[in-house]
Amino acid sequence: MAVREEVVAEHTAAGAPIRQSSLWRDAWRRYLRNRGAVLAAAVFVLLVLYCLIAPIASPYDPYEVDFSQAYQTPSWAHPLGSDQFGRDLLTRTALGGRISIGIGFGATIAILLIGVAYGAISGFVGGKLDDALMRFLDALYGLPYLPFAILTLAIFGTVNFWTMVVALSVASWFTAARIVRGQIITLKENDYVRAARAVGARWHRILLRHLLPNTLGVLIIAIFLELPGVILGEAFLSFIGLGINPPNASWGSMAQDGYQAYRVHPHIIVIPSVAIATLILCANFIADGLRDALDPRTRET
Amino acid sequence: MTKFVVRRLVWTIPVVLLVILLTFTMMKQIGGNPFRQTERAVPASIQRNLERKFGLDKPWYVQYAQYVRNVFTFDLGPSMVLRGRSVNAIVKEQFPRSIQLGGLAMLFALVVGVPLGAVAALKQNSTADYSAMVVSNVGFAVPSFLVATLLIYFVSLKWGLLPTSGWATWRHKILPPIALGLGPMAYFARLARGSMLETLQQDYVRTARAKGLRWRRVVVVHVLRNSLIPVVTAAGPFLGFLITGSFIIETIFAIPGIGRYYVVSVQARDLSVTMGLTVILALIIVVANLIVDILYGLLDPRTREARA
Amino acid sequence: MRKRWLWPAALVASLLLAVAGCGGDDEDGAGDTGGETAAEQVITVNWGTEPPSLDPGLASDTTSANILLNIMDPLVKLDDDLEPVPTAAESWEVSDDGTTYTFTLRDDLAWTNGDPVTAEDFAYSWKRTISPELGADYAYQFFGIQGASDYNGCEENCDAMADEVGVRAVDERTLEVTLTSPQPWFLQQLAHHSFLAVHRPTVEQFGDTWTEASNIVTNGPFRLARWEHDSRIDLVKWEEWRDADSVTLTRVNGRMISDGTTAVQAFEAGEIDAQVGGLPPQEMQRLKTLPEYQQYPALGTYYYGFNVENITDPNQRRAMAVAINRRAIIDNVAQADQLPATGYTPEGTPGFDTLNPESEWLPEEGDIDRAKELMDQVQNPKTNINLFHNDAPGHREIAVAVQDMWKELGLNVTIRAQEWAQYLEFIGPPPSGDVDVFRLGWIGDFVDAINFLEMWTCRSGNNSTNYCDENYDRIVEEVQTGNLEEDERFDRYAELEQMLFGSDGAVPLIPIYWYTYVNLERENIQETFNLNLLDQVDLTTVEVQE
Repeated sequence: MAVREEVVAEHTAAGAPIRQSSLWRDAWRRYLRNRGAVLAAAVFVLLVLYCLIAPIASPYDPYEVDFSQAYQTPSWAHPLGSDQFGRDLLTRTALGGRISIGIGFGATIAILLIGVAYGAISGFVGGKLDDALMRFLDALYGLPYLPFAILTLAIFGTVNFWTMVVALSVASWFTAARIVRGQIITLKENDYVRAARAVGARWHRILLRHLLPNTLGVLIIAIFLELPGVILGEAFLSFIGLGINPPNASWGSMAQDGYQAYRVHPHIIVIPSVAIATLILCANFIADGLRDALDPRTRET
Repeated sequence: MTKFVVRRLVWTIPVVLLVILLTFTMMKQIGGNPFRQTERAVPASIQRNLERKFGLDKPWYVQYAQYVRNVFTFDLGPSMVLRGRSVNAIVKEQFPRSIQLGGLAMLFALVVGVPLGAVAALKQNSTADYSAMVVSNVGFAVPSFLVATLLIYFVSLKWGLLPTSGWATWRHKILPPIALGLGPMAYFARLARGSMLETLQQDYVRTARAKGLRWRRVVVVHVLRNSLIPVVTAAGPFLGFLITGSFIIETIFAIPGIGRYYVVSVQARDLSVTMGLTVILALIIVVANLIVDILYGLLDPRTREARA
Repeated sequence: MRKRWLWPAALVASLLLAVAGCGGDDEDGAGDTGGETAAEQVITVNWGTEPPSLDPGLASDTTSANILLNIMDPLVKLDDDLEPVPTAAESWEVSDDGTTYTFTLRDDLAWTNGDPVTAEDFAYSWKRTISPELGADYAYQFFGIQGASDYNGCEENCDAMADEVGVRAVDERTLEVTLTSPQPWFLQQLAHHSFLAVHRPTVEQFGDTWTEASNIVTNGPFRLARWEHDSRIDLVKWEEWRDADSVTLTRVNGRMISDGTTAVQAFEAGEIDAQVGGLPPQEMQRLKTLPEYQQYPALGTYYYGFNVENITDPNQRRAMAVAINRRAIIDNVAQADQLPATGYTPEGTPGFDTLNPESEWLPEEGDIDRAKELMDQVQNPKTNINLFHNDAPGHREIAVAVQDMWKELGLNVTIRAQEWAQYLEFIGPPPSGDVDVFRLGWIGDFVDAINFLEMWTCRSGNNSTNYCDENYDRIVEEVQTGNLEEDERFDRYAELEQMLFGSDGAVPLIPIYWYTYVNLERENIQETFNLNLLDQVDLTTVEVQE
């Protein structure tokens, strides 16, 4: 769902101001004023902490099979119940969260890295190369995202953390590239860049010191805007059976297990689905808050 | 306008070539044997006969050239697994269902989402606004497989109102579009609300109000029209996504569309079907984007001039 | 396409032979069944998948076979005791050396367009399937017929070689088949759908699309009324069929819901009357309590194969086999009352009592002490084990359970899942060097132990274990070529099983369980809707009761 980035672009590309450190502090203050965003950030941090800590703190081995404990409904011993192997779901969900969130951020960052590299080169060099790269990008826009993810996974044959990251990013960096290019082109025309050029600064210095840092705000927003799509993408692939290999699990593959058992044990599908939904909600609110905080123009509305 | 459309249509040719090249290369990397679908070994002579029959004994560039030629004569070749069926026949029979599903989901998303967002914007900070935003936030976040499962469980099994699966009569075509369209619906609601709020602050709206124009008229003629632009922009890629990304919904509701079949064909190494479907999916995306650009032009005459 | 019998690997099992035997209804259909016949004789069956092809030459899966065997008339079919009984063939004679079969066709056979069915139709159809041009997966079914293998592999002079194939229409009603060696299972094999006849003019007129509902010409009890691909396939009774009076059903609507959970929902919502296989393992516990739940024994074995070049010590293989608690796997994971395997060839095969080794290496509940003892005798055990499976539902659950069981032997098992097509390539034969253990299943093509045991010969394309024993191969060859009496044959099979799983057996694989087929069937058809060992339902005997 790369669509969402275009909205960011609209909001920021036009006249992104040159920011300084005090602007970051202002942004931080503005963010804190947005109660929804603060709450979302808090929930998000808690969720991440839970995923990191629960498997260590839990008395249960998340991989240990014990059929006598299979399909327990939630109780004090198992607050979220247990799965078909008698594994504690509170522990397993945290483990699944590590993978889901990890893949989410991994793929998002991969998307942005490719996008930044492509967009920055295109926008900075300009001219014929820019033309060619943009034409090529236009053609890439025709690639269907999920089918190419499926093909990519099929090439790897086995699904693990890294292959999933590659699959999810391989056909979804196009919009990011376009946004970054737009930003760079706008910034290039700015006085201080012209000035830097006039005094003979090297091009990579301009790019690294002036242009990229000024796209940082947009990129941070973009991470949280892109995240829901990536998380859902991972969940979809897992759900159709292209998920991460056992005994590891992601929230998507846990939901698939739950789907098959939902008539008798509905909690197994509900728990990972709610986890996914919570994560996406948080990402949305955080992105909204960041946008308001980092982009003064929209602040007024 | 015509010139613009023609130019964009011509532009689809390199897109298709690129898609074919990429898919072809990827399929060649995958390995696996389309002629061995079961654990049974395929005797060498039979394997050879099959490879010959489907041209897989030729060098890859010959296969590629042959395939490109076929695509541009609108012949996507025979399926290697569903023996006796051509990819054209598969597309012709199953694609309309996916388009219908995606289209209905889109319709649901727009018809429910845009008014929801508009009402929320017009009554900003009211209870209506907050509830609309809660609905859209939750709607966006809940994965479609849970929505589909809940819909089937309650509507079909508990209350017996609609069939659980299939794609035959109108009664089959209610739940799947809702499950598929809920996410986009929520997204459009938020988008519509945001852009409405922005438009409402524009000078010309204020002027119109000051001039004493009827509020309702102002909303309908000016505000709504201008607020729709971002919605339309987003709708194009979403339409492509809805048609190409309906794997899960098609599986859960047993809809004989193209989405589920795509996954199956990749897994079965049905080279010709996978390639054919990828090409078609790419075309859908190109066309969806084209339609958006046209609509965009109609809604906002400035861009039409600029782009043509 | 995912074949139905690939993944029921996860589900299936086998107990209650009695269930399958119920009804006792045969050719003359109605009459001897218990309930009253209902007025409306229409049922809806979920086959679970689109039949990949309705061309008898090209079909290679159970769904296609099930449809084909009900719209076409085979030469012979198997009765409840798996004995071949005459259908389209009225009678046959076998030459003394066991290599020539002469069939006499009935005189009232006809195609749906009115043409008579002749011996020439069979000869044409078989040679068509063998021909290199058709590219039939199941051409190898015919390789026991003289000249068939050569014709299939021919590079030049193919027409001449076609004439050499040992299938000849002597006259309109007489078909003569010459085999390369006496194959006592040949009649069993004939019940397979690839031996059906096709209507030559139709095939030649329409080419690839001759199987579409609008084109197809058939000769069986049902006609193909509608085939909406990937969605529904409807059969209606063909009133002109030679034995139409015995057929009660007037229409069989077919659905193709592949997802198990969706199918169960559709069944419970009353949209389908019979769900053939494909039940989700996670729901088995609940489904088993339903009155609609039915299960049948299957001719299939779910097994874990060793790469004997990596795990070289037979004692380690034995230890790993003994450590597996089959009962726990069946009760907790597979959950369809599968039978814990005590040898490779499944129960139900003719001669089972003679050939089954009741292997001491395959205790039902596992024996961890014994396993540890065996493990202690191993000089250089391989402790890091790569266990491969394909990523279809059910397999990983079993792998996780086995991983846990082997942990007690001090083995560190890494489970690696692969997607089916890649998996098949990966495990060979020969298997990739990374493979220590792999899971597979085998479903019989026909009802004879040879179909199971010949696959462990050195050069078998289905033997991914690297196990190779010349003595084993010699016995298999003896069975295939020497005109043995039935008892002698069963004794040979027993020897083969002993070589695999006897006290000195090599244990190149661990049979885990024998499959069952599990269905959901409405109570008003339960009595007459039955699957045989090969997962086939004979719709001519089904009737809807009040």
